[in-house]
Formats: sequence, structure tokens, C-alpha cells
Amino acid sequence: MSEAGGEACPSSGRERAVAFPLPFCSVRGLGLLGGARPRWGSVLPTWSSHALASLLWKHLTDAPRHDVFPAPRASPNPDTTQRTSRSQRAQRRKALPPRTEKMAVDQDWPSVYPVAAPFKPSVVPLPVRMGYPVKKGVPMAKEGNLELLKIPNFLHLTPVAIKKHCEVLKDFCTEWPAALDTDEKCEKHFPIEIDTAAYVSSGPSIRNPKARTVTLRVKLSSLNLDDHAKKKLIKLAGERYCKTSDVLTIRTDRCPLKRQNYDYAIYLLTVLYHESWKTEEWEKYKSEADMEEYEWKNSSSEKNILDTLLQMRAAEKTSASGEELLATKEVDDYRRSVVSLKNEGDSEKTLSQYKESVKRLLNLT
Amino acid sequence: MLVLGSRSTRTMLKEITRLVSMVQKAKHGEQHEGQHYRVPLQDVKTVFPHGLPPRFVKQVKTFGEACLMVRKPALELLHYLKNTNFAHPAVRYLLYGEKGTGKTLSLCHVIHFCAKQDWLIVHIPDAHLWVKNCPDLLQSTYNRQRFDQPLEASTWLKNFKTTNERFLSQIKVQEKYLWNKRESIEKGSPLGEVVEQGIARVKNATDAVGIVLKELRRQSSLGLFHLLVAVDGVNALWGRTTLRKEEKSPVAPEELALIHNLRKMMKNDWHGGAIVSTLSQTGSLFKPRNAYLPQELLGKEGFDALDPFVPILVSNYNPKEFESCIQYYLENSWLQHEKAHTEAGKKELLFLSSANPGQLERLCAYL
Repeated sequence: MSEAGGEACPSSGRERAVAFPLPFCSVRGLGLLGGARPRWGSVLPTWSSHALASLLWKHLTDAPRHDVFPAPRASPNPDTTQRTSRSQRAQRRKALPPRTEKMAVDQDWPSVYPVAAPFKPSVVPLPVRMGYPVKKGVPMAKEGNLELLKIPNFLHLTPVAIKKHCEVLKDFCTEWPAALDTDEKCEKHFPIEIDTAAYVSSGPSIRNPKARTVTLRVKLSSLNLDDHAKKKLIKLAGERYCKTSDVLTIRTDRCPLKRQNYDYAIYLLTVLYHESWKTEEWEKYKSEADMEEYEWKNSSSEKNILDTLLQMRAAEKTSASGEELLATKEVDDYRRSVVSLKNEGDSEKTLSQYKESVKRLLNLT
Repeated sequence: MLVLGSRSTRTMLKEITRLVSMVQKAKHGEQHEGQHYRVPLQDVKTVFPHGLPPRFVKQVKTFGEACLMVRKPALELLHYLKNTNFAHPAVRYLLYGEKGTGKTLSLCHVIHFCAKQDWLIVHIPDAHLWVKNCPDLLQSTYNRQRFDQPLEASTWLKNFKTTNERFLSQIKVQEKYLWNKRESIEKGSPLGEVVEQGIARVKNATDAVGIVLKELRRQSSLGLFHLLVAVDGVNALWGRTTLRKEEKSPVAPEELALIHNLRKMMKNDWHGGAIVSTLSQTGSLFKPRNAYLPQELLGKEGFDALDPFVPILVSNYNPKEFESCIQYYLENSWLQHEKAHTEAGKKELLFLSSANPGQLERLCAYL
């Protein structure tokens, strides 16, 4: 690591006024090395106040120089106005190499960062870069990088550290029941899953308003629902149902206490279940637009094909009744292809199936 | 490949990749796939007064001849049409495919075939033109709720007349139609009179179109002639329009008399012919650019109306067709780039156009 600002400029024979200690330089040199937090308070080196006062006086009375580069210098004789000699300069304390160079690869990381701490570039052995680069440049290195300090870091929560936490927490836990060794068994015996969160923070109050939310998840296949009840429940639940995973999720946070929200969520589930089993008066007016999936019976497609086939039979002077026509294998194929086309959408497979069935129905070669 | 060859070598090369046709049209079979056949210019004027896509028209003018490639979807359709049972209700065929794969030209191929076989052609070149950009909407005299489009109707009638000149005197109207208090069409007068009336009196043009379609539907069932209804961009019939009424409320397609009559034609309650149509995203309104599947473009209403139909996929060129197309351009000295005839050049064209006929045509225009 480069020496503190004092040596940054070559001396090249210029006279140097006695260094006025600058806060930044000294912090870099002393403040963060191995410490828990930057001691902004201890900005100045530990000099006597007398030495300080004389320094200040020196600085104020001397003629101002453009080539002055103030540097912290534990100067052996601050009273003199002469240049510090080579031997005196050599005694100046050099900045130590960063701790990262002495770290072993298999060291115990949780002891380096046992608690949440800001990012210390000399302690974290990763060559991290952060920041928007100038033109034809690269992002800034980690030394003195404010961006890395601003963001939260989880260096204290590495998997190793978490494992250690869990090992300690195990003493406070009970055994997992041996009978529930597969996911299916868990689902079978405990179909409802409740998610709650607890928050701990240091502060004047232990309450946290986020702790009152309760999420209830249940798979509809584990509920006793028939076809009509399931469709009605899905319509009632609306966005809370996920089709791909068949999970109903109810998230409540309208009550002030977690206990109350949990009761409310269970109440909602009960109400949904019972309401979906009931059939109301107005449900018989359900129209085609309300249907979740395509139904072939009484659809326009059925009517069309029936008309077409009847006309074909009439042309050939053979008579056939509607029911007979609908019962043939070709019409059944056609029905299946139309249903798949409507429900799954267009694809090569469904369209070619439809084409084949239409060709067979209309007797095209 | 010679770019500036002598006349004889050029014609010789032409014969190798082409199948000169007029009579042989009916004999297009599997072995002719990938080859071009020439449509005589005379036919182009009568059969396709308004049917060919604009870029193809320019190509015809440049090359001095109209050549269509024989491709599988068209061959399939021709096969079905040859074996049509005219006693059964009209079968509907739907050509669908991505943009630029050749649906309109396949339709034109089929139309030419039927024209040669002496069918009556009702060809609507682009149904999308009837649902947008129409400044003069008149309220229909026949039905108060509907709207007339005099310009579009009269242009279509003119082109219809050019295509089907010989039928117009043969077919007789079977009902009396009153235009207004003074003019009427008597029963038994030829259809040509209706068409004349529509062209002359632009105000009645839409009603004339309606009468023509109704009569044709009725009479093809009697077996006097075979009727081919060819509609390009059939998804316009069930989509939305950009037209607005005077009070700025949007016009639904069924409120347009032309669309209403055309929808009746697309129903399969008549027999004695066939209905061939294509889906087109290019002129369509309010549909995303990469939509090409039937249900996406037709919507629920359209699909239910056309059901049951035979969907026919038109895809990009296969390697043989691609090769043939490049040869055709080379022979007509259309590709002037020196690397165009090399293998590397062809591979580059294949990659750039991904074997899409429309893209290839646009690319070759620059070379």
C-alpha cells in the first residue's frame, strides 16, 4: 500500500513546510487497520497539544508556498524550521501491508467478519471493483471506494457462518418426526402451509409492523372438491390461485396481530370451501364467455359440422339422424381435435390433427 | 452461369428449369415441384386484373413474363379441387403461414387453374382494403343499419367483369330487384346488367355486389357452373375496422354491407364450388406482427364461422425450391452481383433470407 500522502510527491529538492496533518491521510494510514470502525474521532496522530500548537503557528507564519504538499509526519523535532534529515525521515512509520496478504486460503472467515460490519478493503481478500468507469477506464478498485462502503454487505453471513449458526441453534430445536420423511407424506398429513416472519432488531421497541403478515398455502388437490366446486373456487379466488402449481395462496395483513391474521386466513379458506360447494340460482345463466375451457356440446362447432354432414347426406340421398352422425368415430376425432385446438391453442400438432379429422369427415382424399 | 449469353443458350437454359404451360397446367404433379411455369400475359390481364401482389406485378413488368413456382401447398389444393364433389356443400380451404411465404401467390396459382378449367371466379384481392381507409361511407338504402362503400364496390365490380366476361351474359337473374322507384332489374335479365348498373350508378354499387353474390350462390347450387370464391386476407371479415361513423363511434364489420354479404358467401350452405382463402397479417388491423396461426388472426368468431375448414400450411422454400428460384433470377439477369452464382453467394443469400420467399425477393432486388 502506498505510503501516506507525504511521500506521494517526490521531494526533488523542494523545501517542504512542516506538514499540516490532514485527516484523510492519517485515517488511511492508521484508522482502519484491523479496527472495528473508523475512528473518525482519532484523526490526528497522538501528539502533545504543545507540539500541535507550535505546528499550527509555524504553518501560519511561514510564507505560503505553492509546492506545499502537507503530509503527516511524526517528526522527531517539530520545533525546528530546518529540513528533516534522512535519518529522521527514515524513522517515519511506514504503512503496514494489508492484512489480506497474510490470510491463508482456508482460514476461518466467520472470525474475520463475525458481525455485520462495513466493507474493509484491507481485510476482504477479493479483487472487487465497483463504480462507473471513465472513458477507456475500468471500474475503481476497492481501496478507498466509497461505493463499496455505501451498499450493504453480507460478508458476515457466508454459508460457513450460517452453518455455524445452525449448529448452535440446533440445541434449541426438537427432532424432525421420523414418520414424515417424504414430501408426499408431509403434504398428505399437513396440506396447509402457514408462512410467518419474525423480525429482530436493536432499537427502543421490539415490535415490527411487518411481522403481522400471514401467508396460507394449500393445494386444491388435497381439498375435497368436485368439478363444479373447483371451478367456482378458482373463480372466487381470482389471482390467488396458481394454475401451474395448483396452489391457493391467501396472504393477510389486515389485522394488527399475527394471531388475528392467522384466524382470518383460516376463516377465508373455510368460507371459500363451503361457498364453492353451494350452487346459486344465477349460476344457471353461465354463458359460453364464462366458461374456463371449451366445451364441445352445444357449441357452434357442433352445429356447423352437423349441418354440413346433413347436407352431405341429403345430397347423396341417404338419410341419417343427428344422433347417429354424432356418434361416428370421425365426428369423435373431430370433436377431440377441436377441443384440443381451442384449449391448447394453435400448434403444428393440433392443427395437423384438425386437418386430418376434417379431411376424413368431408371425404377428401 | 452466363449473365450475358446468347439468346439461344438463354432460352435453352430457361427450358431446363421451367415448364411452359398452358395446356399442361392441369397436369401439374409432384414431379413438377420446384419448377416455374409461365402464365401467358393475356391471362394475366383477364384473370388477375387486381389479384397479384404489387411487387409481383412489378416483377412481371420487368421480366416481361409472369412465372409462378409450383409448390406443395398449391399442388395439394389443386388435388383437392380436382376431386371436388360438387353435390356436397362447398369445402373451405385456408392457406396460412408466416409473412412472405407465398400464400397470395399460391392462391393466384389456384385461381389460374380454375380459370383454365372454366370456373367462375369471385376473387377479393384483399379484404383488408374494405375495412379501412374508406372516406365515403353511405348509409345503405336497403338496410338502414348498414353502410355502403361505393368506391370499393364499383372497382371490384369492374374487375369482376373483366374476369368473368363470358358468364355475365349466360347467367340470368332469378328475381326482380328494385333499385328505386323508376329502375329495376327484371327476372330473367342477364347478370351483366346488374354489374353495369353497379358500375354506372356508383351509389348502388354495394347493393349490386350483394345481388351478384346472392345470385351466384343460388345458381351454382343448380349446377350451371362451378364457383370458386377466393378471398385474400379473410381475417378482415371478423376483425375490427378503423372506420368510424359520424359521431366517432367505431363501425363493426357486420355493419358494412360488403362484409356482411361476403360473410354469407363464406358459409358452406351452398354447393357446386369451393372456397379458398388466405390469412394475412400484412394488412390486418390491431394484430401483432408475428401472428400467423389461424386462431390468432381469425379470433373466436372467425374460427367458429369458418369451422370446419381445411388448414394448409405454406412454409418457406425447401432447398430445391430455393435453388430453382435463384436459377430463375440468374437466367433473367436479375442478379448482377458477380458472386451471386457461386456456392458461397447462394449460401449467404439462404442465410440472410432464411429461405423466406418474400425476403429473398427483396434481397435480390438490391443485387
